[in-house]
Amino acid sequence: MNELYAVGIFLLVLFTLLGGSVWIGLALMGVAWVGMELFTIRPAGDAMITTIWTGASSWTLTALPLFIWMGEILYRTRLSQDMFKGLAPWMSRLPGGLLHTNIVGCTIFAAVSGSSAATLTTVGKMSIPELRARNYPEHMIIGTLAGAATLGLMIPPSLTLIVYGVTVNESITKLFMAGIFPGLVLAGLFMGYIIVWHYFSKGPRPDPEPPMKFADMLKNSRFLVPVLLLVFAVIGSMYLGYATATEAAAVGVVGSLTLAAAQGSLNWDTFVASLLGATRTSAMIALILMGAAFLSLSMGFTGIPRALAAFIDSMSLSPLVLIMVLTVFYIILGMFLDGISSVVLTMAIVEPMIRQAGIDVIWFGIFIVVVVEMAQVTPPIGFNLFVLQGMTKHEISYISKTALPMVGLMALMIVILVIWPELATWLPDKIRAR
Amino acid sequence: MNDWAPVLGVPLWIWLFVFPSIICVAALLKPKLLRLWLTPIWPWLDKLYRLSGLIAACFMVLILLLIVAQMIARWSNVSFPGSTEFAGYAMACTSFFALAYALTTGAHIRVSVLLNWNDWLKFRLDALAMYVAAFIATYFARYAIKTNQFSAMLNDTTQGQDQVPQWLVNTVSMFGSWPTTWADIWSQPANDWIYTPMWLPQIAMSIGSVLLAIAVWDHLMRLLVTQVSQIRMESIE
Repeated sequence: MNELYAVGIFLLVLFTLLGGSVWIGLALMGVAWVGMELFTIRPAGDAMITTIWTGASSWTLTALPLFIWMGEILYRTRLSQDMFKGLAPWMSRLPGGLLHTNIVGCTIFAAVSGSSAATLTTVGKMSIPELRARNYPEHMIIGTLAGAATLGLMIPPSLTLIVYGVTVNESITKLFMAGIFPGLVLAGLFMGYIIVWHYFSKGPRPDPEPPMKFADMLKNSRFLVPVLLLVFAVIGSMYLGYATATEAAAVGVVGSLTLAAAQGSLNWDTFVASLLGATRTSAMIALILMGAAFLSLSMGFTGIPRALAAFIDSMSLSPLVLIMVLTVFYIILGMFLDGISSVVLTMAIVEPMIRQAGIDVIWFGIFIVVVVEMAQVTPPIGFNLFVLQGMTKHEISYISKTALPMVGLMALMIVILVIWPELATWLPDKIRAR
Repeated sequence: MNDWAPVLGVPLWIWLFVFPSIICVAALLKPKLLRLWLTPIWPWLDKLYRLSGLIAACFMVLILLLIVAQMIARWSNVSFPGSTEFAGYAMACTSFFALAYALTTGAHIRVSVLLNWNDWLKFRLDALAMYVAAFIATYFARYAIKTNQFSAMLNDTTQGQDQVPQWLVNTVSMFGSWPTTWADIWSQPANDWIYTPMWLPQIAMSIGSVLLAIAVWDHLMRLLVTQVSQIRMESIE
């Protein structure tokens, strides 16, 4: 009973600090300290620094700043303009027309950037005004963009997957490979939704695009081709085993610097701006990881993870029920926390649980990313909603309403993942066999 | 409590927690006066945070260079011992040096549901949260320094194959010792390569966490005297 009391205090401190808007990384450290003081006689401060130093100086983590930097460089190029111009002629014949540039643009930028907000701003900067000028319905422009931008979390490189991999000690390369097909399927679902919408909607049709010669189409997309080549170089080198995730990130940075220089948008100012932007984001994630490392040490002493895993085991839940419970749990958590925080906060507890239940840890990484994606576009806290609000000046409630069909498609994606787990596990198994 | 042994006759925890708190209370009670005293320091602190951000950025470039060098070495069958350790140290340096810079530019994230509830709550909760954060950051910094000193005392060295030149170790140790011992330090042959002593990369952790603690206290005081949070998001377009 005394134990239970202490666990209660521990959880209360956790929610108070997080809800009281202490910075998440520092809040986790504070909670972990309380846990250490309650449950052990080990000196908390020394254990804290040993854990934090080991985590912060780990080699696997180096992929994180490099992939962030790669995205920051390309974000500052003319990619945004060229993305729309290059994609539009190819997409205009599809039913639903240029709305597809939102999805395909996000998919391509997701493959060079690991963040959903960067994907959203890069693609949205051009596509929102262009689509509005062509009289596409506002709710479709906003909704498809909000949904598709979350692909940034799934399609490699993905910051969420790096953090997940570091937290549960799994190969980041495998996680990246696992994200490719589910990401493409999800993009396909979004495009399918646009096509279905096109045939069922009764409203006025947007103006058709003037026909264009094939040579002109190629000319318009001339900048997209090198970006696609870069994507294939980064992902291919990991898949073929030529490079680790970190090395692939280094290739990506060098490649994107070269691209930026070639199209003339690289100067000292943009170089420093991209570097400082990457430094900030990577420090933000690093602080959360430091707090999380200390928290999982402390959490181990509280006995919560073991007790919970044993409890789940004693209920003899089927993996399916467990996944359903966890889905609801993460959706609720995602209403208040961003993806990376909710992953690091819960993995100390959830990891023993899923290993016990025999769920594939790589598959679970992809599952968690889909759930986190849903959280990005659901109120009250959805980061994409805030970014879109800043870009379009619409109310959060309107934006989240337009994104609702996309949330439904992501829920469908979870069902697909449960029915066909091979979608995520097949490709990483292929590299395992090499 | 040995960790908080007296410094200049006053226990360390009074220096680290009580004195800054007293300044905060003073800032709350006499904002005009404290503003007069504190304002001249702000530009210097801002420069300091930015400088540490720039140092962090340099280490990020170093990560890139180390990894590119490692790949080239592997393709050309040259061995580059300890490259992964060095990249790890550079990673730690990037993260720690950028902590304060990320804080002051609003990059660190927080749950802001309650914070944005209303203006009455905004100021009070923000101040309270920063006060708690300042305690945690100060605690973090205190033990980072302790661990760093212990690593030096126990001659803790790397478990990998990474080596650094003796002259680098000697030069850095000069900063942490009295000039009377400098002759001893340089009695080691300067051209040798030795296994990296752990205290060397850990300096980044000490400096970074101290700067973070300073930044949180600083911004708490700025909030108290100006009534408005001085943390500005640089990334907002």
